[in-house]
Amino acid sequence: MTVTKPSSGRERQSSKRRAALLAGCAATAALTLTACGSGGAAGTTNKDGFAQAPQKDGALTVWVDATRVEAAKLYQQQHPDVKLDIVTYDGDANGSNYLQTKVQLFNRTGKGWPDVVFSSQNNEVTWAVDQNFAAPLNKGLIPSAALGKFASGANDVCTVGGTVYCLRNDLSQAVLWYNAPLLKKFGYSVPTTWEEYQALGEKVAKEHPGYLVGDAGDSFTPEIYLWASKCGANHITGPKSVSVNTSSEACTKMAKLIDVLIKNKSMSISGVFSTDFGKNEADKVLLMPGPAWYGGAVFKDTFKIPAKQIGAAPIPQWQGDASPSTGNVGGGTWLLSQHSTHIKAATDFLKWVTTDNAYQGEKAPGFPAYAPAAENWLKGQDASGYFATDLSALKNASSQVWPGWGSGQFSQEAIWAATVKPGLTQGKSVVSMLPAWQDSIVKYAKSNGYKVSQ
Amino acid sequence: MAFVAAYVVLLVAFGVLPTAYAIYFAFTDAGGKITGFANFITTAQDFRFLDAVGHVATYLAFWLVSLVVFVVALALLLHRLASGGASKALRFLYYIPGALAGAASVLVWLFMLDPTVSPVSSLLGAMGFHTFGEVIAPGNLPVLFTIIAFWTGAGGWIVVMYGALNNIPTDVMEAARIDGAGAWKTAWHVQIPMLRKWIVYMVILAFAGGAQLFVEPQLLSLASVGVAGRDYSLNQLTFDFAFQMNNINGAAAVSVELLVVSVSAAALFVARSGFFDAD
Amino acid sequence: MASRLLTGSVLAAFLAFFVLPVVWLVLAATKTDQQLVHDNPLSFGSFHALKANWHALTAFQDNAVMQWLGNSALYAVISLVITLAVAIPAGYALAMTEFRGRHTLLIATLVVMLMPNATLVVPLFLEINAVHLIGTMWSIILPYSFYPFGVYLTYIYFTTAVPKDLLAAARMDGCSELRVFWHIALPLATPVIALVGFFSFVANWTNYFLPYVMLPESSQMPIQVGVGSLLSNVPSFNPAVGNLAIERPQLALATLVAITPVLVVFLFAQRFLVSGMLAGATKE
Repeated sequence: MTVTKPSSGRERQSSKRRAALLAGCAATAALTLTACGSGGAAGTTNKDGFAQAPQKDGALTVWVDATRVEAAKLYQQQHPDVKLDIVTYDGDANGSNYLQTKVQLFNRTGKGWPDVVFSSQNNEVTWAVDQNFAAPLNKGLIPSAALGKFASGANDVCTVGGTVYCLRNDLSQAVLWYNAPLLKKFGYSVPTTWEEYQALGEKVAKEHPGYLVGDAGDSFTPEIYLWASKCGANHITGPKSVSVNTSSEACTKMAKLIDVLIKNKSMSISGVFSTDFGKNEADKVLLMPGPAWYGGAVFKDTFKIPAKQIGAAPIPQWQGDASPSTGNVGGGTWLLSQHSTHIKAATDFLKWVTTDNAYQGEKAPGFPAYAPAAENWLKGQDASGYFATDLSALKNASSQVWPGWGSGQFSQEAIWAATVKPGLTQGKSVVSMLPAWQDSIVKYAKSNGYKVSQ
Repeated sequence: MAFVAAYVVLLVAFGVLPTAYAIYFAFTDAGGKITGFANFITTAQDFRFLDAVGHVATYLAFWLVSLVVFVVALALLLHRLASGGASKALRFLYYIPGALAGAASVLVWLFMLDPTVSPVSSLLGAMGFHTFGEVIAPGNLPVLFTIIAFWTGAGGWIVVMYGALNNIPTDVMEAARIDGAGAWKTAWHVQIPMLRKWIVYMVILAFAGGAQLFVEPQLLSLASVGVAGRDYSLNQLTFDFAFQMNNINGAAAVSVELLVVSVSAAALFVARSGFFDAD
Repeated sequence: MASRLLTGSVLAAFLAFFVLPVVWLVLAATKTDQQLVHDNPLSFGSFHALKANWHALTAFQDNAVMQWLGNSALYAVISLVITLAVAIPAGYALAMTEFRGRHTLLIATLVVMLMPNATLVVPLFLEINAVHLIGTMWSIILPYSFYPFGVYLTYIYFTTAVPKDLLAAARMDGCSELRVFWHIALPLATPVIALVGFFSFVANWTNYFLPYVMLPESSQMPIQVGVGSLLSNVPSFNPAVGNLAIERPQLALATLVAITPVLVVFLFAQRFLVSGMLAGATKE
């Protein structure tokens, strides 16, 4: 039994056979595709602004991230008669696109969608509406009275053409965090304007070198500083259009401020979660503009700063600015599936989880987007005794988030991290990188199918 | 043949059919209409495409050379070790990182490459790196990805090569020794030629793996919160097209391009090495 | 002497390269998050911290870690058995016998092995859906069981290490094909069976993307996906996560737990990997 090299004739034959085999497979594949593509509009009823599938009994499937499992479990506890299937996933963290990936697959097979989903991202409606996943909520499902009690602008990221497609879980409005005893010891007062803030930074650099008035090294740095300064880098003007302009005065004056403070080292470029910051700078924080969740996640849990030191003040404003404005870093959303066959139960869950005091008012880790729950939440924070001041600054900031910065399908944080952060490390100034930043935003927006005006 | 029947079923179901389906995707649009090369053209026009091609080409050069040279050399050295116990222990220790796939090694590399907390911070310092940001500067990325990929991937291949060396008949080795061939000569003229098929197999897979670079940049991107490694490779672009932009057809087009490159390289190696000869 | 010194130092340098990060990881699991950043990277924390990390890890979603490990073991072992039953005979036949379609099979195997997997997910999902296996463990076990890499390992092993004459002699003696395979080829193939078995186990154990996309319930997830979800609960990798955070030493511990089975299987397989069984058989 020896092996002979196949003659060229045989080889040709076998490759022909191979071609036939592949063609056959492609045909089968094509058949499957068409069969799956026609997933059914049959038997639907038009109600609440969308075509609803025939309703059935059965378990309500809820997708949550690890943090929100507590909410689903609490709901189950309070509603023992509801059959709940709680599925944990990564909450679409870091742009994992898990939800979108699965919805694409479910759309092809015509089944499998969860009824209610939590996402830690606030840009899900940029695809979930096009792909017929997110159900409209202000057309009958959620009463407008309830929608009206969300913090003003909280559900802007959920709104496409006037229709609300998701409910905001928490807000991440930026405020000015500070170390109250340290500030007192140094004899400074909390700055209320950016001009004062910069002057204080320069003073700290001279009088107490090493201490920090802020950090500009995180991917969400532009959302803290440039958003608050009303820089029009990310103005989402329609479902698929964006206006990008990073050269306006609002952008350049904030960029200059950052550059001055980075240069005199009163502003760090490490990023608050970096090991460098944790090791060398965590106990040097005097002031720190940052979102609502800095209070727990950064100062208390990561830096382990003792109680009664950290306080919150309103974020500074530019002198002579008529209306106060601030930025926002994240905040999750809840979506309800159009394909749900348990819409009543799903709506009940959604209403409860976003508005009920039992979760949002008492247990939620983030600042509730639903204003009445937020009142309660703030009381709880005061009672916990960790903070040196009350957190009324958070409450006021919740309705002052500047609406000119939107939430597109492309990630502003990823763009800043890849475009501006490496330059900061090399010692370039933010001002000098504004054009490159704009260029990068424009490219990513276009690549995601956005119409861009500059 | 009865021996291959079960395998053929699996091959068709989970290999040929999905691949054919993906190729079909590459030449059609979302509605299933044949579009010729439209997907190839649109994806090639994406502003990240050419950069990604350049990145992957640079990485491939570093990766292939280091893998082939070091794996073969280490397997030969281990095989020459007089102490069987030491050789066995070393193969195990070299292999350990191979178990640390994907997410598991994000933490490791974040801390290894950050001079603030790295156990080798003096080494990094000697090379002029004092912050994490400096270490992950764009110019360093091909080398970093090679180091990470080698760290996880080399141990397995060393085990394979070592096993192959063991299968070289002892009389062949003895003949070489009687001829007075030293270690170098034996390695070059006897052992490496007899490893030919294994090396070719490794190169084919390493080439395809390198061209499909994905895990390492993704890992570094996660460790640096997006500063380095995002949108670096072609395969990352396919994931972005498929699951971020809902453009499975564009993703399939890039996949097919990668497949064509890998298969061409494989064909070259196969033809020149007699890889498919049953003898 | 000089060459032995060189050999020794090269091997030692690579030893440091491969092992140092692992040593760091082991030590990291014994520290608190504060110690991880502030202490010497290669110092030992304390048993107390190790215990606390373990408790925090097992407390995550009511001991989900154990469930993930159990799932991984189930998927990896069943696929391993199928893989061996399928890949070893196939590799043997491709190497040692001549049949119609042999070249086609070799080429098709190589081509699908080289296909990038991002776009294969959608077709696989649709196929599995078509046979109504979505939601079952078979939706990942069956794709795992297709292991072309192992077929090639077996193929190369037989072509390079087992002489054809040996089998021809057996056939002359009137052995059936099955008997030749079972009584002659298989005993000679111990090293490659161990090799394929081991690599298949590792590939199944470490696969992240397929179960991540395919499985609908969190209770079905394997350890790799679990480690991924732990990672997304560490603030340094996912800043906006909120309060209930996993700390980095706990992640290190989870990683160690996740890789231990692979290392145990390696040590077990290593006994068979290089048994040198052929040393006598190939002498002609």
